[in-house]
Amino acid sequence: MLKTETLRAVVDCLIPTDEFPGAYEAGVCDYLLRLFASDLRDEAEFFTTGLDSIELEARARFGAPFASLTPEQQSITLEAIEQGDVLTSWQISPQRFFEMLVCTTAEGFYSDPQQGGNRGAISWTMTGFEDQVDA
Amino acid sequence: MKDYDAIVVGSGAAGGIVACVLAEAGKHVLLLERGRELSFADVGRDHLRNQRLAIYGHNAGPELNGNPRVFVDPEGRSRIVRPHELDYHNNAACVGGGTRVYGAQAWRFHPDDFRMASKYGIPNGSSLADWPITYETLEPYYERAEWELGAAGDGRTINHQVPRRRDYPLPPVPPSPQTSALKRGASRLGWTTTPVPLLINTEPYQGRAACIACKYCVGFACPTDAKNGSQNTVIPRALATGNCELQTNAIVANIDVDSQGKVSGVTYFVDGIAEQQRARSKVVVVSAGAIESARLLLNSGLGNEHDQVGRNLQGHLYPRAYGLATTKVFDGVGPGVTIATTQFNHDNAGIIGGGMLADDFIKPPIDFWYDSLPPDLSRWGIRNKAFMRDNYTRVLHVRGPVQDIPNPDGRVTVDVAVRDKWGIPVARLSGTTHPATVEAVTFMRARGEEWLRASGCEKIWSAQPGLILSGRQHQAGTCRMGKDPKTSVTDEWGRVHNHDNLFVVDGSLHVTNGGFNPVLTIMALAFRSSEHIARQL
Repeated sequence: MLKTETLRAVVDCLIPTDEFPGAYEAGVCDYLLRLFASDLRDEAEFFTTGLDSIELEARARFGAPFASLTPEQQSITLEAIEQGDVLTSWQISPQRFFEMLVCTTAEGFYSDPQQGGNRGAISWTMTGFEDQVDA
Repeated sequence: MKDYDAIVVGSGAAGGIVACVLAEAGKHVLLLERGRELSFADVGRDHLRNQRLAIYGHNAGPELNGNPRVFVDPEGRSRIVRPHELDYHNNAACVGGGTRVYGAQAWRFHPDDFRMASKYGIPNGSSLADWPITYETLEPYYERAEWELGAAGDGRTINHQVPRRRDYPLPPVPPSPQTSALKRGASRLGWTTTPVPLLINTEPYQGRAACIACKYCVGFACPTDAKNGSQNTVIPRALATGNCELQTNAIVANIDVDSQGKVSGVTYFVDGIAEQQRARSKVVVVSAGAIESARLLLNSGLGNEHDQVGRNLQGHLYPRAYGLATTKVFDGVGPGVTIATTQFNHDNAGIIGGGMLADDFIKPPIDFWYDSLPPDLSRWGIRNKAFMRDNYTRVLHVRGPVQDIPNPDGRVTVDVAVRDKWGIPVARLSGTTHPATVEAVTFMRARGEEWLRASGCEKIWSAQPGLILSGRQHQAGTCRMGKDPKTSVTDEWGRVHNHDNLFVVDGSLHVTNGGFNPVLTIMALAFRSSEHIARQL
C-alpha cells in the first residue's frame, strides 16, 4: 500500500504549488493509487520500496521524515536519488525508481482527468491547452 | 466452404480500396479484418493509451494480450514485445486499419522517390533500388485517391515539385499563428512552403460533415467523421454494392494452395470460434500491412523462393526541432499541422534523399511533457512546472519523415517458438535501417533548427533517433515490387512472382518509402492494382 504522507510530500516536491495547485491538490496521488492497482500492478511493490527508501534517505540526511523537511531539503534529497548519489543502501535502482516516479507524477498531473488526476483539468488551463474547461 | 472471386486480407488503407474497386466491378469479395469495427466512443480520448502516445495501452488494436511479436535489438538480444510497446512497430488493427486513427497527411511521393538507385547510386550494404513504375504512371491514381476519399490542399503550392493534372477537391486547412511565424522564417531563408495536404474534410464532402478543428486528430478518431479513412469511404461503398462481405475479428493463418500449388483460398480464425474457417477464391489479396503481410506469406511458405519476403523493412525516422517563440503561437485550433517545406526532399549535398518538414498536430500536454521539453530543463520542480505553464503555447514544433535507405537486414521473419493466441507463429523483427538514413536525419534536424532560428525563436533544441529499426505506422517495403524475382517479391501490380492469383497490395510493395507520409501512395497503388485484378477476374 502506498504511504500517503510521504507520497503526498514527494509529488508536491516534483510539481509544487504556485498560483496553480501542486500535484497533490490536482489529484496525482489518486492517479497513482489507481495506476499501481491496474496497469502497473506488477510494479506496485517496486514503487512502495522506492517510497520507503526515500523516507530512509531523508532521515539519513536530515534526521526527519521526508514530509517534515523544508522544500529545499526535500529537493536535495530527490536530486540525490535522481543522480543515484544515495547515502543509504537501496534494494532497487534509485534512478530507475526516480524515472518511474517523475513520469507517473507528470502523467497524473497532465493527462486527462478521467484517469483520476488533473482534477478539474487544471493543468490544461495552466498550460493553455484548453482556454476554459467544463469541469 | 464458401466461394468468392477475391479474398482481401486486411481492411486498412489498401485493403478497403481493393475491396471497393472489386465489389464495384461486380466481383464477389470477402474482406477479412483481424480487428473489430471501432466507434468514436470505442477509440476514446485517453491521453496515455492512444496510437500516438501508448504508454499503458492503445486504442485501436490489436489487444495487448495474445498478440505478441519478437523484437531483436541491434546487439542481437531478443525479447517478446506487446502491441503498445515501441519495438512492436504496431499499426492499428481495426476496420480501417491505421486510417481509423491517423493524422491523414496526404502527400504524393516526389518523382525522384521512384528512382532512388539511379539518382544516387547504391550505397554499400543497402538494397536501394528503383521502382518498376514512375510517378507519371501513378499520377492518375493519386488523383483518384484524393478525389474519392477526399483530400484538402493547395495544388498550386506543391505543383513545382509534383506535377498534377487536377487540384485537390477541398481547400487546405486554414493557417494558425504558428503558420505565419514559420512562413516568415522560410521566406527569410528563401525556402518555399505549402499547406499540408490532409485527407480531411475542410468542407462537407460526399455527405459527411466538415472538420470542427478539435484538438484530437492523430492518434484518435474524428468526432464529426470528417477524417477520411477506409472505414468511412471505400468500405461503405464496397458494402453498398452487396458484393462484399466484411468479416471482422478474423485473422488469416494460412494462404491455401491446391494440389497443383495454385492459390485457392485462405484458412482463418474468428474470435470466439474454436474451429478454423476456410474460404475459397479465385484470387487472394494480402493487404495486412508490411509486417503482417510478410508474416502471412512466410507462414504460408509462398513467394519466398529468393529469400526476399520480409526484407527491407522501412518506415520513417523523424528528426524533431523545437523553438521558443517570442509570442504565443498555439491557438488550440486543430488538427494543428498547417505548413510544410519540401525544399529538402532531394538534391542535398552529400546526403542520399532527404525529407519533408512540417509543423505538428496539436500535442496533448502529457505528450508535450514527454516529447518536447528542452534537454537542459529539469524534469521536475518549480522550473519544470513554470516551463509548462509559460511555454506550452509558445513552442514551435518542426518535424518530418526522412526517406529510409533500405537495409536488407532490417527485416521481418517468423518465430515458430512464439505463437499468438490462435497458435500462429508471430513476426520477429530484427536489424536496423541503413546508416545513410541516419545521416539524412541528422541533416534534416539541422534544417529544422535553421527554420526555427529564421522564424525568430529565442531558444532552440532538437532530437533525433540513431541507427534503429524503422517501421511503425509508416511500415513498408517487405514485399517490394520489381522486375527481377531474385530481388523483389511481386511484379509492378503486386502479383507475387510465379503465382497467377496471389497479390500483395499495401505498403509492403514500396521499393522505397519517400520522404513523406506514405498513405496516399499506398492508396494510389491499391487503386491501380485492384483495377488490374478486376480486369483479370
